[in-house]
Amino acid sequence: MIFKIAWRNIYRNKKRSLITITSVFAALFLIILMRALQFGFYDKLIETVVESYAGYVEIHADGFWDNQSLDNSMQVDQQLLDDIQSVEGVENIVQRLQTFSLISVGEKTKGGVINGINLSEEQKITDWNKKMVSGSFDLSDNEIIIAKGIAEFFGISENDTLILYGQGYRGMMAAGKYPIKGVIDLKNPDLNKIGLFMTMESVRNYVSSDEISTHIIIGKEKYYDEDKIVENLGLILSDDYEVMTWKETLPEIEQTITADSAGGLIMAFILYVIVVFGMFGTVLMMTEERKYEFGVLISIGMSRIRLFGIILVETIILSMAGVLLAIIVTYPICIYYNINPIDMAILMGDGAEQMMEEMGFSPVAPMSTSWDIPLSHSLVIFIFSLLISIYPAIKISKLNPVKSMKV
Amino acid sequence: MIETKKLIKIYNPGKFEVKAVNDVSTVFAEGEFTAVVGPSGSGKTTFLNCVGGLDTPSSGDVIISDEKITKFSGAEIIKYRLNNIGFVFQAYNLIPVLSAKENIEMIMLLQGANEKSRKTRTDELLNQVGLYEMRNRRPSQLSGGQQQRVAVARALASKPKFILADEPTANLDTSSTSNLLNIMNKLNENEKITFIFSTHDQRVIDRARRVVTLEDGKIVNDIKK
Ligand SMILES: Nc1ncnc2c1ncn2[C@@H]1O[C@H](COP(=O)(O)OP(=O)(O)O)[C@@H](O)[C@H]1O
Repeated sequence: MIFKIAWRNIYRNKKRSLITITSVFAALFLIILMRALQFGFYDKLIETVVESYAGYVEIHADGFWDNQSLDNSMQVDQQLLDDIQSVEGVENIVQRLQTFSLISVGEKTKGGVINGINLSEEQKITDWNKKMVSGSFDLSDNEIIIAKGIAEFFGISENDTLILYGQGYRGMMAAGKYPIKGVIDLKNPDLNKIGLFMTMESVRNYVSSDEISTHIIIGKEKYYDEDKIVENLGLILSDDYEVMTWKETLPEIEQTITADSAGGLIMAFILYVIVVFGMFGTVLMMTEERKYEFGVLISIGMSRIRLFGIILVETIILSMAGVLLAIIVTYPICIYYNINPIDMAILMGDGAEQMMEEMGFSPVAPMSTSWDIPLSHSLVIFIFSLLISIYPAIKISKLNPVKSMKV
Repeated sequence: MIETKKLIKIYNPGKFEVKAVNDVSTVFAEGEFTAVVGPSGSGKTTFLNCVGGLDTPSSGDVIISDEKITKFSGAEIIKYRLNNIGFVFQAYNLIPVLSAKENIEMIMLLQGANEKSRKTRTDELLNQVGLYEMRNRRPSQLSGGQQQRVAVARALASKPKFILADEPTANLDTSSTSNLLNIMNKLNENEKITFIFSTHDQRVIDRARRVVTLEDGKIVNDIKK
């Protein structure tokens, strides 16, 4: 009966109900599309950065991040890899062995970071094979690929050789002479100054240990929350390991996104304010107009709580109708622009576009189709409808049936 | 039995106070068919509202079948009304979005009656007030007299001990008035339902078996025929 009365009341004032539903719809429509665009853009940004170097999630031996020395490396066995692979949300895993080293060519010397990688596995997570400027990514043992900045610094290229020396495992000396297989553009000015790549075996040889790794890099399933993976991993990994997401390993990216996202949230907030006032107006009129009816209902024996139930149901039906409509309409749009990514360059200045190109970031980003966006904003609207219903609740609790029935 | 003891209702206490009901003590026995009469402003409505627990008196008590309803809390009195008192108002006061049938049925729904008994009783009441054919109409699709008959059926739906009707015929024409009175009379005689109604319509007064006259909130005359 509560539903019947509520429903008929909504139907009774079709125009007003439609206006209310439309306003909720319009605001949520804009908010969802805006956020889907933003989040799509962030996903792309993260993906680009992650694919270029870090992982969504990384595992190191405990203490490695603060003191990146080979003494804080780990020995990874198949059991550990299987355990990690079986964790929910984990798609691919790959090991790396990373170590600082001095690079020397002729009279010149500079510092660099050697990455020992597993060629075939690595390609499931990073796209280095596509970033070669010259030569090939197809490393054999004791060959090396150097980043663009290093090539420029020494004026060397494919088929030249360089000498590496530094510290090996457990205080051993490490040194070696390696022919250059190719030059890579990591699309990141900082990484381009230091990046060196060799096969895992070659680096292990170089540091005089045949089983250590420094990183286990994890590729996740799309839209799976990396923090959730960290949580899942925490259940199976001992204290000997530390687990970090890109948010910790690349804090600047997280900061950039947070700053940009705040702009979107302010926009959403403004839209919410408009909607909330619109809805409040409707509820206000609904309450004032029906004081008489409320008086009747109370005088014939309807409890005030039930009466409030009617108003609550009406408010929720109105807001949720708008919400549902917005989700139904925006979802196909998000899917469409997810499959046919939008060229964000149109939305940005020339400078921004150029900068992004240099960073290896193509400004074509697909829209996010994550359900988190419509669901979280629907929840916000739902909570607002509950808050708005406080007004009629107060009115009803104070209503004097005799006075309200006087016409 | 309904008893009022030194019932007083003062509006705007202080400077411009109005003693709408001024020290009324009386008893309504079961099965009575009583008219409360008096000029406009004599306190009829206020008196009925206090008796039915819609309004709280400034002092004095209302006792219905040994229960002091003037001591009830807000939620208790609403529940008490639902199960014991039927109201009929001058302005019909039906729920505009519900049909005649639903307006009647709602009371039983609030009481928690099951669907079958609700349906039987609703049909029975609709027949009693002669509106079975029009059961699916909304109030706006019914005449004033028909709406007031729905209101009487609604007041009866909860099987109340008594029905309070405030000027039930004030907005009705002659034939609707006599039609409504016939129905009320029949319910009173056949089902022993106690009616207390206010009026200043002579035709209605003529049909009552007891006439209580109020003036300035006091009983000035009480005649049993
Ligand atoms: N809410 C109110 N506030 C102040 N005075 C009121 C109120 N309701 C009724 N009165 C006054 O109380 C007196 C009795 O009114 P009422 O009970 O409506 O009489 P009747 O029903 O006989 O016309 C009148 O003088 C009226 O003006």
